[in-house]
Amino acid sequence: MDEVELISKAQTGDRQALSELVKKYEKTVYNFSFKICRNPEKAENTMQETFMSMVKSLKQFDGKSKLSTWLYRVVVNHCLMDLRKKKRNFVSIDDDEGEVPEGSLIPDWKNIPDDVTENNELKKILDDAINKLQPDYRVVFVLRDVNGLSTEETAKITDLSVPAVKSRLHRARSFLRNEISKVME
Amino acid sequence: MSESKVGCKEVMEHICDSLGEELDSPKCVAIKSHLKVCTNCQNYFKSVEKTIEFYKLYNPELPEETHENLMKKLGLD
Repeated sequence: MDEVELISKAQTGDRQALSELVKKYEKTVYNFSFKICRNPEKAENTMQETFMSMVKSLKQFDGKSKLSTWLYRVVVNHCLMDLRKKKRNFVSIDDDEGEVPEGSLIPDWKNIPDDVTENNELKKILDDAINKLQPDYRVVFVLRDVNGLSTEETAKITDLSVPAVKSRLHRARSFLRNEISKVME
Repeated sequence: MSESKVGCKEVMEHICDSLGEELDSPKCVAIKSHLKVCTNCQNYFKSVEKTIEFYKLYNPELPEETHENLMKKLGLD
Protein backbone atom coordinates (compact mmCIF):
# COMPACT_ATOMS: atom_id res chain seq x y z
CA MET A 1 0.00 0.00 0.00
CA ASP A 2 1.50 3.39 -0.91
CA GLU A 3 1.60 6.39 1.40
CA VAL A 4 -1.34 8.25 -0.16
CA GLU A 5 -3.52 5.17 0.28
CA LEU A 6 -2.28 4.68 3.87
CA ILE A 7 -3.07 8.30 4.75
CA SER A 8 -6.47 8.09 3.11
CA LYS A 9 -7.36 4.91 5.05
CA ALA A 10 -5.99 6.30 8.32
CA GLN A 11 -8.12 9.43 7.81
CA THR A 12 -11.22 7.26 7.79
CA GLY A 13 -10.20 5.67 11.11
CA ASP A 14 -8.37 2.55 9.86
CA ARG A 15 -6.13 1.69 12.85
CA GLN A 16 -4.00 -0.74 10.84
CA ALA A 17 -3.19 1.97 8.29
CA LEU A 18 -2.41 4.45 11.06
CA SER A 19 -0.11 1.92 12.72
CA GLU A 20 1.69 1.38 9.39
CA LEU A 21 2.18 5.14 8.99
CA VAL A 22 3.63 5.45 12.49
CA LYS A 23 5.99 2.51 11.91
CA LYS A 24 7.07 4.00 8.56
CA TYR A 25 8.19 7.28 10.14
CA GLU A 26 9.06 6.51 13.78
CA LYS A 27 12.78 5.91 13.16
CA THR A 28 13.12 9.08 11.08
CA VAL A 29 11.27 11.15 13.68
CA TYR A 30 13.24 9.65 16.58
CA ASN A 31 16.63 10.10 14.88
CA PHE A 32 15.85 13.66 13.91
CA SER A 33 14.48 14.52 17.36
CA PHE A 34 17.58 13.03 18.97
CA LYS A 35 19.91 15.03 16.74
CA ILE A 36 18.13 18.30 17.49
CA CYS A 37 17.16 17.85 21.16
CA ARG A 38 20.43 16.03 22.03
CA ASN A 39 18.84 13.93 24.76
CA PRO A 40 17.19 10.46 24.59
CA GLU A 41 14.32 11.36 26.92
CA LYS A 42 13.56 14.58 25.06
CA ALA A 43 13.77 12.67 21.78
CA GLU A 44 11.23 10.11 22.99
CA ASN A 45 8.95 12.82 24.33
CA THR A 46 9.19 14.81 21.09
CA MET A 47 8.47 11.69 19.03
CA GLN A 48 5.35 10.97 21.10
CA GLU A 49 4.14 14.58 20.86
CA THR A 50 4.76 14.61 17.11
CA PHE A 51 2.75 11.45 16.43
CA MET A 52 -0.03 12.48 18.81
CA SER A 53 -0.24 15.72 16.89
CA MET A 54 -0.28 13.75 13.62
CA VAL A 55 -3.13 11.53 14.81
CA LYS A 56 -5.09 14.59 15.95
CA SER A 57 -4.62 16.54 12.72
CA LEU A 58 -4.54 13.77 10.14
CA LYS A 59 -8.10 14.42 8.96
CA GLN A 60 -7.09 17.96 7.98
CA PHE A 61 -3.97 16.78 6.12
CA ASP A 62 -4.59 17.70 2.47
CA GLY A 63 -1.53 16.05 0.93
CA LYS A 64 -0.28 19.31 -0.61
CA SER A 65 3.07 18.82 1.11
CA LYS A 66 4.77 15.56 2.06
CA LEU A 67 3.81 13.98 5.38
CA SER A 68 7.52 13.83 6.27
CA THR A 69 7.81 17.62 5.77
CA TRP A 70 4.92 18.13 8.17
CA LEU A 71 6.45 15.73 10.74
CA TYR A 72 9.84 17.47 10.54
CA ARG A 73 8.11 20.82 11.15
CA VAL A 74 6.43 19.54 14.31
CA VAL A 75 9.74 18.18 15.64
CA VAL A 76 11.56 21.44 14.89
CA ASN A 77 8.91 23.54 16.62
CA HIS A 78 8.81 21.25 19.64
CA CYS A 79 12.58 20.97 20.12
CA LEU A 80 13.33 24.64 19.46
CA MET A 81 10.62 25.78 21.85
CA ASP A 82 12.07 23.52 24.51
CA LEU A 83 15.67 24.62 23.91
CA ARG A 84 14.67 28.32 23.91
CA LYS A 85 12.97 27.88 27.28
CA LYS A 86 16.29 26.70 28.72
CA LYS A 87 18.06 29.79 27.34
CA ARG A 88 21.41 28.01 27.17
CA ASN A 89 24.39 29.96 25.93
CA PHE A 90 25.27 28.67 22.51
CA VAL A 91 28.23 29.88 20.50
CA SER A 92 27.16 32.75 18.27
CA ILE A 93 28.12 32.23 14.66
CA ASP A 94 26.32 35.24 13.25
CA ASP A 95 29.63 36.94 12.67
CA ASP A 96 32.81 35.76 10.98
CA GLU A 97 34.38 34.12 14.01
CA GLY A 98 33.84 30.65 12.61
CA GLU A 99 35.72 31.39 9.41
CA VAL A 100 39.24 30.34 8.59
CA PRO A 101 41.32 33.50 8.14
CA GLU A 102 42.66 34.25 4.69
CA GLY A 103 46.19 32.97 4.24
CA SER A 104 46.11 30.36 7.02
CA LEU A 105 47.45 26.94 6.12
CA ILE A 106 44.81 24.22 6.17
CA PRO A 107 46.20 20.74 6.78
CA ASP A 108 44.96 17.66 4.95
CA TRP A 109 42.70 15.50 7.14
CA LYS A 110 43.97 12.33 5.51
CA ASN A 111 46.12 11.54 8.52
CA ILE A 112 43.58 11.46 11.31
CA PRO A 113 45.16 10.23 14.55
CA ASP A 114 44.12 6.65 15.41
CA ASP A 115 43.16 7.56 18.95
CA VAL A 116 40.55 9.97 17.55
CA THR A 117 38.78 7.53 15.26
CA GLU A 118 39.12 4.58 17.60
CA ASN A 119 37.12 4.17 20.82
CA ASN A 120 34.48 6.83 21.27
CA GLU A 121 36.63 9.91 21.09
CA LEU A 122 35.38 10.99 17.69
CA LYS A 123 31.77 10.57 18.75
CA LYS A 124 32.40 12.73 21.81
CA ILE A 125 34.10 15.41 19.73
CA LEU A 126 31.17 15.47 17.28
CA ASP A 127 28.66 15.58 20.14
CA ASP A 128 30.48 18.43 21.87
CA ALA A 129 30.73 20.41 18.65
CA ILE A 130 27.08 20.07 17.66
CA ASN A 131 25.97 20.80 21.24
CA LYS A 132 27.72 24.16 21.03
CA LEU A 133 26.01 25.02 17.75
CA GLN A 134 22.95 27.30 17.94
CA PRO A 135 19.84 25.09 17.56
CA ASP A 136 18.53 27.12 14.60
CA TYR A 137 21.74 26.34 12.72
CA ARG A 138 21.79 22.74 13.95
CA VAL A 139 18.34 22.15 12.44
CA VAL A 140 19.45 23.40 9.02
CA PHE A 141 22.66 21.34 9.11
CA VAL A 142 20.91 18.10 10.12
CA LEU A 143 18.04 18.48 7.65
CA ARG A 144 20.20 19.47 4.70
CA ASP A 145 23.48 17.61 5.20
CA VAL A 146 22.73 14.65 7.46
CA ASN A 147 19.20 13.80 6.31
CA GLY A 148 19.84 14.91 2.73
CA LEU A 149 16.77 17.11 2.22
CA SER A 150 16.79 19.75 -0.50
CA THR A 151 17.44 23.41 0.28
CA GLU A 152 13.82 24.20 -0.71
CA GLU A 153 12.34 21.55 1.60
CA THR A 154 14.62 22.68 4.44
CA ALA A 155 13.40 26.25 3.88
CA LYS A 156 9.79 25.08 4.02
CA ILE A 157 10.31 23.16 7.28
CA THR A 158 12.19 25.98 8.99
CA ASP A 159 10.16 28.90 7.59
CA LEU A 160 13.36 30.42 6.24
CA SER A 161 14.12 31.79 2.78
CA VAL A 162 16.34 29.68 0.49
CA PRO A 163 19.26 32.19 0.79
CA ALA A 164 18.88 32.13 4.60
CA VAL A 165 19.09 28.31 4.59
CA LYS A 166 22.24 28.45 2.44
CA SER A 167 23.84 31.06 4.67
CA ARG A 168 23.08 29.14 7.88
CA LEU A 169 24.25 25.90 6.31
CA HIS A 170 27.56 27.42 5.32
CA ARG A 171 28.10 28.90 8.79
CA ALA A 172 27.09 25.67 10.54
CA ARG A 173 29.45 23.64 8.34
CA SER A 174 32.32 26.06 8.94
CA PHE A 175 31.70 26.11 12.68
CA LEU A 176 31.55 22.30 13.01
CA ARG A 177 34.51 21.85 10.71
CA ASN A 178 36.58 24.31 12.77
CA GLU A 179 35.58 22.68 16.06
CA ILE A 180 36.57 19.23 14.79
CA SER A 181 39.78 20.58 13.27
CA LYS A 182 41.08 21.24 16.79
CA VAL A 183 41.67 17.50 17.17
CA MET A 184 42.31 16.60 13.53
CA GLU A 185 45.20 18.93 12.83
CA MET B 1 32.82 38.76 -13.47
CA SER B 2 36.47 37.84 -13.77
CA GLU B 3 37.31 34.17 -13.33
CA SER B 4 40.96 34.75 -12.63
CA LYS B 5 40.96 36.21 -9.12
CA VAL B 6 39.19 34.38 -6.33
CA GLY B 7 40.59 34.37 -2.79
CA CYS B 8 40.39 31.54 -0.27
CA LYS B 9 37.88 33.48 1.82
CA GLU B 10 35.51 33.80 -1.12
CA VAL B 11 35.84 30.11 -1.85
CA MET B 12 34.95 29.35 1.74
CA GLU B 13 31.95 31.67 1.65
CA HIS B 14 30.56 29.81 -1.33
CA ILE B 15 31.68 26.32 -0.46
CA CYS B 16 28.15 25.35 0.56
CA ASP B 17 26.90 25.86 -2.95
CA SER B 18 29.82 23.92 -4.37
CA LEU B 19 28.96 20.99 -2.12
CA GLY B 20 25.25 20.73 -2.60
CA GLU B 21 24.01 22.78 -5.51
CA GLU B 22 24.09 22.81 -9.29
CA LEU B 23 25.44 26.27 -9.96
CA ASP B 24 26.99 27.50 -13.15
CA SER B 25 27.28 31.15 -12.19
CA PRO B 26 30.56 32.90 -13.09
CA LYS B 27 31.43 33.00 -9.38
CA CYS B 28 31.02 29.25 -9.01
CA VAL B 29 32.93 28.55 -12.20
CA ALA B 30 35.72 30.70 -10.79
CA ILE B 31 35.55 28.89 -7.47
CA LYS B 32 35.85 25.53 -9.19
CA SER B 33 38.84 26.76 -11.21
CA HIS B 34 40.47 28.05 -8.05
CA LEU B 35 39.83 24.77 -6.25
CA LYS B 36 41.68 22.85 -8.94
CA VAL B 37 44.92 24.69 -8.20
CA CYS B 38 44.70 25.67 -4.51
CA THR B 39 45.75 22.91 -2.11
CA ASN B 40 44.63 24.97 0.85
CA CYS B 41 41.06 25.23 -0.44
CA GLN B 42 41.06 21.58 -1.52
CA ASN B 43 41.99 20.63 2.04
CA TYR B 44 39.27 22.88 3.43
CA PHE B 45 36.69 21.53 0.97
CA LYS B 46 37.62 17.92 1.84
CA SER B 47 37.54 18.62 5.57
CA VAL B 48 34.02 20.06 5.31
CA GLU B 49 32.93 16.97 3.39
CA LYS B 50 34.60 14.77 6.01
CA THR B 51 32.76 16.67 8.79
CA ILE B 52 29.41 15.94 7.12
CA GLU B 53 30.43 12.30 6.60
CA PHE B 54 31.25 11.96 10.34
CA TYR B 55 27.84 13.28 11.35
CA LYS B 56 26.13 10.82 9.02
CA LEU B 57 27.90 7.93 10.78
CA TYR B 58 26.14 8.29 14.09
CA ASN B 59 22.48 7.35 13.94
CA PRO B 60 20.88 6.58 17.27
CA GLU B 61 18.94 3.32 17.30
CA LEU B 62 15.27 3.49 18.18
CA PRO B 63 15.07 1.38 21.37
CA GLU B 64 12.38 -1.33 21.32
CA GLU B 65 10.97 0.03 24.57
CA THR B 66 10.64 3.51 23.04
CA HIS B 67 8.74 2.01 20.08
CA GLU B 68 6.43 0.10 22.45
CA ASN B 69 5.83 3.22 24.58
CA LEU B 70 4.85 5.14 21.47
CA MET B 71 2.40 2.52 20.25
CA LYS B 72 0.85 2.34 23.73
CA LYS B 73 0.55 6.12 23.93
CA LEU B 74 -1.25 6.16 20.58
CA GLY B 75 -3.45 3.20 21.50
CA LEU B 76 -1.97 1.16 18.66
CA ASP B 77 -0.40 -1.66 20.72
